[in-house]
Amino acid sequence: MTAVIHIIARERVFYLFVLPFAALTILFGVWPILLSVQVSLTASASALGASPKYIGLANYVAVLADPLFVASLWRTLAYTVLSVAANLAFALAFATLLDSSLIRRGNLFFRLALFLPVITPDVAGYVVWRWLYDRSFGAINAALTSIGLPAFGGLSSPDTAMAALLIAELWHHAGFYMIIFFANLAIRDRSLEEAAHIDGATTWQRWRYVVLPQLRPALVINTVYAMIQFLKTFTVIVVMTKGGPGDRTNFVSYYAYQLFDQARYGEATAMATILFAIVIVLSLTAYKLGDREPGR
Amino acid sequence: MTAKPTSRFAQFAAYGVAITTSLLFLYPYWWMLVSAFRSTREILSAPLRLLPETLDFSIFTEIGRIGGVDLSTYVINSIVITTLSTLVGVIVTALGAYAMVRRPKAPGFTFLRYGFLVTIMYPYMLLVIPVYIVMYKLGLLGSYAGIILFLALGPIQFFLFEQFFRAIPSEVIEAAMIDGASEWQVLTRIVLPMAAPITATVTLITFLLNWSQWFPILIISRSPDTYTLPVALLSMNSELGSNFQGIMALAVITTLPVAILFLLAQKRVMEGMASGAVKG
Amino acid sequence: MGNLRNLLAAAAVLAATLPATAQQLTVWHDLGDNGIKWFEALSAEFAKQKAGATVRSQSFPTDQWFGRVISAINTNTAPDLIFNNYERVIRIQDQTGKVVDLKSLMDKVPDKGFLSEDDMRVATYKGRQIIIPIQRVQMAFGVRKSWLDKNGGKFPDTWEDVKKLAVAFRDNDPDANGKADTFGLALEAAKPRDLIHILDLFMFGSGLRHTLVDPDGKITVDEPAHAQVLEEFLKTYTSYRFVAPDTINHSFAEMYQVIEGGRAGMFRVGDWNVKKWDGANVLGGDFVSGPWPKFAPDRQNAVVIAGMRGVAIPENSPNKALAQEFAAFMLSKAAQQASLENIGAGVRKDLNVSKLSPRAQFFAKAEGRLVAYDFPESVHAFYPELEAAYHRKLMSGIANPPADWKPFIAETAKEMRDLAAKLSKK
Repeated sequence: MTAVIHIIARERVFYLFVLPFAALTILFGVWPILLSVQVSLTASASALGASPKYIGLANYVAVLADPLFVASLWRTLAYTVLSVAANLAFALAFATLLDSSLIRRGNLFFRLALFLPVITPDVAGYVVWRWLYDRSFGAINAALTSIGLPAFGGLSSPDTAMAALLIAELWHHAGFYMIIFFANLAIRDRSLEEAAHIDGATTWQRWRYVVLPQLRPALVINTVYAMIQFLKTFTVIVVMTKGGPGDRTNFVSYYAYQLFDQARYGEATAMATILFAIVIVLSLTAYKLGDREPGR
Repeated sequence: MTAKPTSRFAQFAAYGVAITTSLLFLYPYWWMLVSAFRSTREILSAPLRLLPETLDFSIFTEIGRIGGVDLSTYVINSIVITTLSTLVGVIVTALGAYAMVRRPKAPGFTFLRYGFLVTIMYPYMLLVIPVYIVMYKLGLLGSYAGIILFLALGPIQFFLFEQFFRAIPSEVIEAAMIDGASEWQVLTRIVLPMAAPITATVTLITFLLNWSQWFPILIISRSPDTYTLPVALLSMNSELGSNFQGIMALAVITTLPVAILFLLAQKRVMEGMASGAVKG
Repeated sequence: MGNLRNLLAAAAVLAATLPATAQQLTVWHDLGDNGIKWFEALSAEFAKQKAGATVRSQSFPTDQWFGRVISAINTNTAPDLIFNNYERVIRIQDQTGKVVDLKSLMDKVPDKGFLSEDDMRVATYKGRQIIIPIQRVQMAFGVRKSWLDKNGGKFPDTWEDVKKLAVAFRDNDPDANGKADTFGLALEAAKPRDLIHILDLFMFGSGLRHTLVDPDGKITVDEPAHAQVLEEFLKTYTSYRFVAPDTINHSFAEMYQVIEGGRAGMFRVGDWNVKKWDGANVLGGDFVSGPWPKFAPDRQNAVVIAGMRGVAIPENSPNKALAQEFAAFMLSKAAQQASLENIGAGVRKDLNVSKLSPRAQFFAKAEGRLVAYDFPESVHAFYPELEAAYHRKLMSGIANPPADWKPFIAETAKEMRDLAAKLSKK
């Protein structure tokens, strides 16, 4: 103990530097999370009162026994897998295209066009998408029918609602992943490809066995970012579907959020903790698979 | 790439894909802009029109007051809250990241770093009640200070600074220490001048990201007096109905400032975001 | 967490010592800009009898209003007054137990003969008077007048009339823009209250009682008369193709966009909608209101009193005494006149309606036959959860319509019975 105090005294200037950061992290990050976990252990009716009643893990038991929550959890995981795959595939393809010798002029314009949605306030973007999708009055279906294609169900059909969300979210996020792939492509070792070319490798072989392995850092970081992003999908649901149609887009974050409205605080925070645990486990796994130390 | 000349067809196809995708990505902006000048009736009956029927700016006076608060208040709130939270965030994050990079093993620093990383991963939308309680206990409920402090920290800012400070060769600092400089002098005379470009990048990125924030502001606010533009946009539906054209006009006002800022500083923003991730 | 509680105590003490602005009252509602204008008018009027007192109102979207009021009351940061529909105040009381019993205040109000027994019953929940009734909420069936005139001009009386009109509105290009982009009806469905509320209107408007559950807790869903209305209602969203396909995601905001955008010919008209829809940029008064459609010749159809808006006071209201004074003032003739002019509704019968449009007078004079909603929320504490399950079930049917609705309705009724039994045991 005295040793610790000694170190703190010696390094006090660094503690001084870190103090505001520590204060903000603890006050607005760690503390609310601990409070949330605390609420998840109490009976909802007493949760916010003067003397909350602790009921152990009863909320967790209730939540895991709730078929709607379990369905919502699977739905969230499925959406996350699809979104991560779609976003990364799209971003990687587009970054590769822009990096290739095929696109010289206009390269910057294309990158700007894809990145602009990233810095656009999500609320504003999704308000527009919501009406673009409208089956009767939206531009997307007006365009499809005008060229003789069948109408797209968009947000109104249970079969297409998730895909519609995925596309709108891809619009908002993919530019970010694209830029990261693009930066990674720019710093790769091009001499390896020349060597492979001399050895007679095809374009595909060069890309698959020479370029792709070098993109590992971007792949790992994008996967982790995207996973955290899509597991927590929320704003797009608030603006576009409210969980519908018929629960098809009712993901965990939104389902739990709705419980606050019914004052089921204990169950809502229990769901939050479960989702939180899933985010951590999956992100750490992705890091590990990517052979990186998270706490480096 | 080298060697064989790319065929005209491949180039044509590549441009076809790139142009089509880009235009599809940009179309929602055009639709938003055009719809701000068209009545609800016109939008619903001819959604594909590329130009408004008439160029009528009256909608911008019509939404001059939203929810009993002047539009100008939301604009000023957006500017003030975003600017101040960015400044606070950049200073606090820079100092914190610097200390943690210089003394990674100091007691508590690892805990703090993990605490921060964990915070990023928490489903923030489920902190409604806890954040409300925390703000209440700190007496910051409904205050600008509460909103600004809450928005100050963010992951990308932290990673950018951390990665930059790690890249500073230890010899540079050691040399200064041997010359008898104090830690404070090392920071102000050596590290900070070196960090000027990265600080500019982080400031810019933080500003862009904080401008979009809506959820914490909604939770911490006690009244629409402290709402920013995105929150006002989300709150435009009342029991008495909604103003579709007004929503589009407000969406334009919300988007335009950051879009322009981004286009002016695109190189710094895109390279900054990418480097924060790839090398970090 | 001991330290945490000490900190809380310190913060509470600190909060208590802050200077109180004793003369300013704050009220939270969800009535938007018209509501804000109404309270501005009330504030000016109230200052005449209470020098120096001002009232400031803040409007929040309904879902935000809920969370905000509950967390504010639970953390002692409540506003002075809250204003909303009675059933929402009931939920606030259920979840906080901190809504003031206004019975003794009400006893002291001399001029209240215009409030009926029904009104007072709605205002009372578990023996407490939780609101002072301020606005009766009437909801009629509306038709776009210009479209109706092209189709005979006769206001639809029976459900068969409505169906014929709906087909005509959908298929005959009533707005003559050369496109098949119109719908028979504009309805809503996205959230539990959206869909069940519209169903309530069809049920009560056609002379039935108890959409889902009666006061004894009996499920009414599959009683023949109910099942008939329910089946037609579900078909309206599905096989009849009378509404826009996106209706499944529409809440009231989107429903209003379809109505105000001129895409649907029949819709709900609430008394509070009239002022906006009389506006030249909106509907320009191009609509006519009447009772909800008749489903059986032997049952009278009617306009529905689907709610009561009232003012309530949290126990921890910062200026409770003044808040009570203001709440009582809201029943005065001047305050009620302002309510009628800004929101289109009130509870007094002696107000001047001559300045109102014919469409507003329809409600102000209560010209239609009126029938009151049954307010199950004030009888069954479990009602919101039951309603949410009912909504989920009906939505699953609308999303994947069965070929025959009858087994679906029977199955729904059974599920509701099981759930009601389970919930009432809790």
